[in-house]
Amino acid sequence: MPSIDIVTHIGLNHYLVLSALLFVTGMAGVLLRRNVIVLLMSIELMLNAVNISFVAFSKYLDKLDGQVLVFFVMTIAAAEAAVGLAIAVSIFKRYKEVNIRFFEHLKG
Amino acid sequence: MTADSFLFWMLAAVTLCSGLAVVVISNPIYSALCLAMSMVGVSALFATLGAYFIAGVQMIVYAGAVLVLFVMVLMLFDLKTELVTFSRGKISGLLKIATVGVLAGFLAGAFSMTIEFAEKTGAATTVPTPDTSKALGTLLFTKYILGFETLGILLLVIAIGVVGLARSKGGTHAKH
Repeated sequence: MPSIDIVTHIGLNHYLVLSALLFVTGMAGVLLRRNVIVLLMSIELMLNAVNISFVAFSKYLDKLDGQVLVFFVMTIAAAEAAVGLAIAVSIFKRYKEVNIRFFEHLKG
Repeated sequence: MTADSFLFWMLAAVTLCSGLAVVVISNPIYSALCLAMSMVGVSALFATLGAYFIAGVQMIVYAGAVLVLFVMVLMLFDLKTELVTFSRGKISGLLKIATVGVLAGFLAGAFSMTIEFAEKTGAATTVPTPDTSKALGTLLFTKYILGFETLGILLLVIAIGVVGLARSKGGTHAKH
Protein backbone atom coordinates (compact mmCIF):
# COMPACT_ATOMS: atom_id res chain seq x y z
CA MET A 1 0.00 0.00 0.00
CA PRO A 2 1.60 3.33 -1.02
CA SER A 3 1.91 5.97 1.64
CA ILE A 4 -0.22 8.48 -0.30
CA ASP A 5 -3.18 6.20 0.26
CA ILE A 6 -3.11 6.87 3.99
CA VAL A 7 -3.32 10.58 3.38
CA THR A 8 -6.14 10.59 0.87
CA HIS A 9 -8.33 7.70 1.98
CA ILE A 10 -9.86 8.44 5.35
CA GLY A 11 -11.06 5.30 7.07
CA LEU A 12 -11.99 4.02 10.49
CA ASN A 13 -8.35 3.87 11.56
CA HIS A 14 -7.85 7.59 11.13
CA TYR A 15 -10.70 8.40 13.46
CA LEU A 16 -9.57 5.80 15.98
CA VAL A 17 -6.01 7.14 16.05
CA LEU A 18 -7.29 10.70 16.43
CA SER A 19 -9.51 9.54 19.27
CA ALA A 20 -6.59 7.80 20.95
CA LEU A 21 -4.37 10.88 20.68
CA LEU A 22 -7.08 13.09 22.14
CA PHE A 23 -7.66 10.61 24.97
CA VAL A 24 -3.95 10.48 25.79
CA THR A 25 -3.80 14.29 25.79
CA GLY A 26 -6.68 14.40 28.24
CA MET A 27 -5.07 11.78 30.45
CA ALA A 28 -1.82 13.76 30.52
CA GLY A 29 -3.82 16.79 31.61
CA VAL A 30 -5.53 14.87 34.41
CA LEU A 31 -2.24 13.53 35.69
CA LEU A 32 -0.10 16.64 35.34
CA ARG A 33 -2.28 19.64 36.11
CA ARG A 34 -3.04 20.94 39.60
CA ASN A 35 -6.00 23.22 38.92
CA VAL A 36 -9.25 21.34 39.53
CA ILE A 37 -11.09 23.16 36.77
CA VAL A 38 -8.44 22.35 34.16
CA LEU A 39 -8.59 18.78 35.43
CA LEU A 40 -12.32 18.67 34.75
CA MET A 41 -11.69 20.12 31.29
CA SER A 42 -9.21 17.32 30.62
CA ILE A 43 -11.84 14.78 31.63
CA GLU A 44 -14.19 16.40 29.12
CA LEU A 45 -11.47 15.97 26.49
CA MET A 46 -11.21 12.27 27.29
CA LEU A 47 -14.98 11.81 27.06
CA ASN A 48 -14.98 13.59 23.71
CA ALA A 49 -12.29 11.25 22.44
CA VAL A 50 -14.49 8.31 23.37
CA ASN A 51 -17.41 9.95 21.59
CA ILE A 52 -15.37 10.24 18.40
CA SER A 53 -14.64 6.54 18.39
CA PHE A 54 -18.31 5.74 19.14
CA VAL A 55 -19.50 7.78 16.17
CA ALA A 56 -16.75 6.42 13.90
CA PHE A 57 -17.68 2.82 14.73
CA SER A 58 -21.34 3.72 14.33
CA LYS A 59 -20.66 4.89 10.79
CA TYR A 60 -18.35 2.12 9.66
CA LEU A 61 -20.44 -0.68 11.17
CA ASP A 62 -23.61 1.02 9.89
CA LYS A 63 -25.40 0.82 13.22
CA LEU A 64 -26.96 3.70 15.11
CA ASP A 65 -26.48 2.27 18.60
CA GLY A 66 -23.15 4.06 18.98
CA GLN A 67 -24.80 7.41 18.49
CA VAL A 68 -27.33 6.65 21.23
CA LEU A 69 -24.43 5.87 23.55
CA VAL A 70 -22.90 9.24 22.65
CA PHE A 71 -26.08 10.83 24.02
CA PHE A 72 -25.64 8.99 27.27
CA VAL A 73 -21.97 9.93 27.51
CA MET A 74 -22.80 13.58 26.92
CA THR A 75 -25.43 13.53 29.67
CA ILE A 76 -23.06 11.93 32.13
CA ALA A 77 -20.35 14.42 31.15
CA ALA A 78 -22.61 17.38 31.81
CA ALA A 79 -23.67 15.96 35.17
CA GLU A 80 -20.07 15.22 36.13
CA ALA A 81 -18.96 18.74 35.19
CA ALA A 82 -21.76 20.23 37.29
CA VAL A 83 -20.90 18.17 40.37
CA GLY A 84 -17.16 18.76 39.98
CA LEU A 85 -17.60 22.49 39.64
CA ALA A 86 -19.90 22.60 42.68
CA ILE A 87 -17.22 20.85 44.74
CA ALA A 88 -14.62 23.26 43.33
CA VAL A 89 -16.80 26.19 44.40
CA SER A 90 -17.05 24.87 47.94
CA ILE A 91 -13.27 24.32 48.04
CA PHE A 92 -12.66 27.83 46.76
CA LYS A 93 -14.94 29.40 49.38
CA ARG A 94 -12.67 28.06 52.10
CA TYR A 95 -9.15 28.15 50.64
CA LYS A 96 -9.35 30.84 47.93
CA GLU A 97 -7.62 28.51 45.48
CA VAL A 98 -8.73 25.47 43.51
CA ASN A 99 -5.67 23.29 43.79
CA ILE A 100 -6.25 19.56 44.08
CA ARG A 101 -4.09 19.36 47.18
CA PHE A 102 -6.95 20.99 49.14
CA PHE A 103 -9.18 18.07 48.33
CA GLU A 104 -7.62 16.10 51.15
CA HIS A 105 -9.54 18.38 53.51
CA LEU A 106 -12.91 17.28 52.16
CA LYS A 107 -14.95 15.92 55.01
CA GLY A 108 -18.51 16.00 56.27
CA MET B 1 -6.15 15.21 -2.16
CA THR B 2 -9.90 15.11 -2.04
CA ALA B 3 -12.03 17.57 -0.11
CA ASP B 4 -13.03 14.84 2.33
CA SER B 5 -9.52 14.00 3.41
CA PHE B 6 -8.49 17.67 3.52
CA LEU B 7 -11.42 18.36 5.84
CA PHE B 8 -10.47 15.47 8.08
CA TRP B 9 -6.82 16.48 8.38
CA MET B 10 -7.67 20.11 9.05
CA LEU B 11 -10.26 19.26 11.71
CA ALA B 12 -7.95 16.72 13.30
CA ALA B 13 -5.19 19.31 13.50
CA VAL B 14 -7.52 21.91 15.03
CA THR B 15 -8.94 19.45 17.56
CA LEU B 16 -5.59 18.03 18.60
CA CYS B 17 -3.78 21.37 18.82
CA SER B 18 -6.51 22.97 20.90
CA GLY B 19 -6.74 19.84 23.04
CA LEU B 20 -3.01 20.04 23.68
CA ALA B 21 -3.33 23.75 24.43
CA VAL B 22 -5.92 22.97 27.14
CA VAL B 23 -3.30 20.91 28.95
CA VAL B 24 -0.28 23.14 28.31
CA ILE B 25 -1.56 26.70 28.76
CA SER B 26 -1.32 27.84 32.38
CA ASN B 27 -4.12 30.42 32.35
CA PRO B 28 -7.41 28.54 33.00
CA ILE B 29 -9.47 31.04 30.98
CA TYR B 30 -7.40 30.38 27.87
CA SER B 31 -7.68 26.67 28.61
CA ALA B 32 -11.46 26.98 28.59
CA LEU B 33 -11.41 28.85 25.28
CA CYS B 34 -9.14 26.21 23.74
CA LEU B 35 -11.52 23.55 25.03
CA ALA B 36 -14.35 25.35 23.24
CA MET B 37 -12.31 25.28 20.02
CA SER B 38 -11.66 21.59 20.52
CA MET B 39 -15.38 20.92 21.06
CA VAL B 40 -16.23 22.75 17.84
CA GLY B 41 -13.64 20.64 16.02
CA VAL B 42 -15.11 17.42 17.44
CA SER B 43 -18.57 18.57 16.43
CA ALA B 44 -17.38 19.17 12.87
CA LEU B 45 -15.76 15.71 12.88
CA PHE B 46 -19.15 14.24 13.81
CA ALA B 47 -20.61 16.07 10.82
CA THR B 48 -17.96 14.54 8.54
CA LEU B 49 -19.02 11.14 9.87
CA GLY B 50 -22.61 11.81 8.87
CA ALA B 51 -23.90 12.16 12.44
CA TYR B 52 -25.48 15.57 11.93
CA PHE B 53 -27.84 15.42 14.87
CA ILE B 54 -25.05 14.42 17.25
CA ALA B 55 -22.96 17.26 15.84
CA GLY B 56 -25.69 19.73 16.69
CA VAL B 57 -26.17 18.31 20.16
CA GLN B 58 -22.42 18.42 20.74
CA MET B 59 -22.33 22.08 19.76
CA ILE B 60 -25.30 22.98 21.98
CA VAL B 61 -24.47 20.88 25.04
CA TYR B 62 -20.68 21.22 25.14
CA ALA B 63 -19.83 24.48 23.42
CA GLY B 64 -23.04 26.02 24.70
CA ALA B 65 -23.81 24.72 28.17
CA VAL B 66 -20.80 22.98 29.69
CA LEU B 67 -18.27 25.56 28.49
CA VAL B 68 -20.40 28.43 29.78
CA LEU B 69 -20.53 26.63 33.13
CA PHE B 70 -16.73 26.35 33.17
CA VAL B 71 -16.13 29.96 32.14
CA MET B 72 -18.69 31.23 34.63
CA VAL B 73 -17.08 29.38 37.52
CA LEU B 74 -13.68 30.70 36.43
CA MET B 75 -15.02 34.25 36.42
CA LEU B 76 -16.50 33.61 39.86
CA PHE B 77 -13.13 32.53 41.19
CA ASP B 78 -11.20 35.47 39.78
CA LEU B 79 -7.98 33.50 39.43
CA LYS B 80 -5.33 36.04 38.50
CA THR B 81 -2.32 33.80 38.26
CA GLU B 82 -1.82 30.20 38.97
CA LEU B 83 1.06 29.62 41.37
CA VAL B 84 1.84 26.03 40.48
CA THR B 85 0.50 25.00 37.09
CA PHE B 86 1.90 21.52 36.91
CA SER B 87 2.36 19.13 39.76
CA ARG B 88 5.73 19.29 41.46
CA GLY B 89 8.24 16.50 41.79
CA LYS B 90 10.47 15.38 38.95
CA ILE B 91 10.20 11.67 39.67
CA SER B 92 6.42 11.61 40.02
CA GLY B 93 6.13 13.82 36.94
CA LEU B 94 8.30 11.45 34.94
CA LEU B 95 6.25 8.54 36.26
CA LYS B 96 3.05 10.22 35.13
CA ILE B 97 4.43 10.95 31.67
CA ALA B 98 5.62 7.35 31.49
CA THR B 99 2.10 6.20 32.40
CA VAL B 100 0.68 8.29 29.58
CA GLY B 101 3.27 6.80 27.24
CA VAL B 102 2.35 3.27 28.27
CA LEU B 103 -1.32 4.04 27.65
CA ALA B 104 -0.46 5.44 24.22
CA GLY B 105 1.52 2.28 23.49
CA PHE B 106 -1.40 0.06 24.52
CA LEU B 107 -3.76 2.03 22.32
CA ALA B 108 -1.37 1.88 19.36
CA GLY B 109 -0.99 -1.88 19.84
CA ALA B 110 -4.74 -2.38 20.05
CA PHE B 111 -5.30 -0.42 16.86
CA SER B 112 -2.58 -2.18 14.92
CA MET B 113 -4.21 -5.45 15.92
CA THR B 114 -7.64 -4.32 14.72
CA ILE B 115 -6.42 -2.97 11.38
CA GLU B 116 -7.63 -6.03 9.49
CA PHE B 117 -11.05 -5.65 11.01
CA ALA B 118 -11.11 -1.96 10.17
CA GLU B 119 -10.02 -2.56 6.59
CA LYS B 120 -12.73 -5.16 6.21
CA THR B 121 -15.45 -2.83 7.41
CA GLY B 122 -13.89 0.42 6.20
CA ALA B 123 -14.51 -0.53 2.58
CA ALA B 124 -18.24 -0.36 3.13
CA THR B 125 -18.53 3.41 3.25
CA THR B 126 -22.24 3.87 3.02
CA VAL B 127 -23.89 7.14 2.19
CA PRO B 128 -25.47 8.47 5.41
CA THR B 129 -29.21 8.26 5.35
CA PRO B 130 -30.84 11.69 5.48
CA ASP B 131 -33.33 10.74 8.20
CA THR B 132 -30.76 9.53 10.71
CA SER B 133 -32.30 11.73 13.43
CA LYS B 134 -35.62 9.96 13.10
CA ALA B 135 -34.01 6.53 13.35
CA LEU B 136 -31.98 7.77 16.32
CA GLY B 137 -35.10 8.97 18.10
CA THR B 138 -36.87 5.68 17.45
CA LEU B 139 -33.92 3.73 18.80
CA LEU B 140 -33.64 5.98 21.86
CA PHE B 141 -37.31 5.62 22.76
CA THR B 142 -37.62 1.89 22.13
CA LYS B 143 -34.45 -0.09 22.72
CA TYR B 144 -32.76 2.34 25.11
CA ILE B 145 -35.84 3.63 26.93
CA LEU B 146 -34.66 2.33 30.30
CA GLY B 147 -31.33 4.14 30.08
CA PHE B 148 -33.09 7.27 28.89
CA GLU B 149 -35.46 7.32 31.85
CA THR B 150 -32.65 6.53 34.28
CA LEU B 151 -30.66 9.46 32.91
CA GLY B 152 -33.66 11.69 33.46
CA ILE B 153 -33.76 10.71 37.12
CA LEU B 154 -29.98 11.13 37.37
CA LEU B 155 -30.17 14.65 35.96
CA LEU B 156 -32.91 15.58 38.43
CA VAL B 157 -30.88 14.27 41.35
CA ILE B 158 -27.74 16.03 40.08
CA ALA B 159 -29.54 19.35 39.61
CA ILE B 160 -30.87 19.31 43.18
CA GLY B 161 -27.65 17.96 44.66
CA VAL B 162 -25.42 20.50 42.96
CA VAL B 163 -27.47 23.43 44.18
CA GLY B 164 -27.40 21.99 47.68
CA LEU B 165 -23.67 21.34 47.51
CA ALA B 166 -22.80 24.80 46.23
CA ARG B 167 -24.99 26.54 48.82
CA SER B 168 -24.22 24.42 51.84
CA LYS B 169 -22.81 26.17 54.88
CA GLY B 170 -21.39 23.14 56.64
CA GLY B 171 -18.73 20.71 55.56
CA THR B 172 -15.40 21.78 54.18
CA HIS B 173 -15.89 25.51 54.42
CA ALA B 174 -17.54 25.66 57.84
CA LYS B 175 -16.35 28.43 60.12
CA HIS B 176 -14.46 27.15 63.11
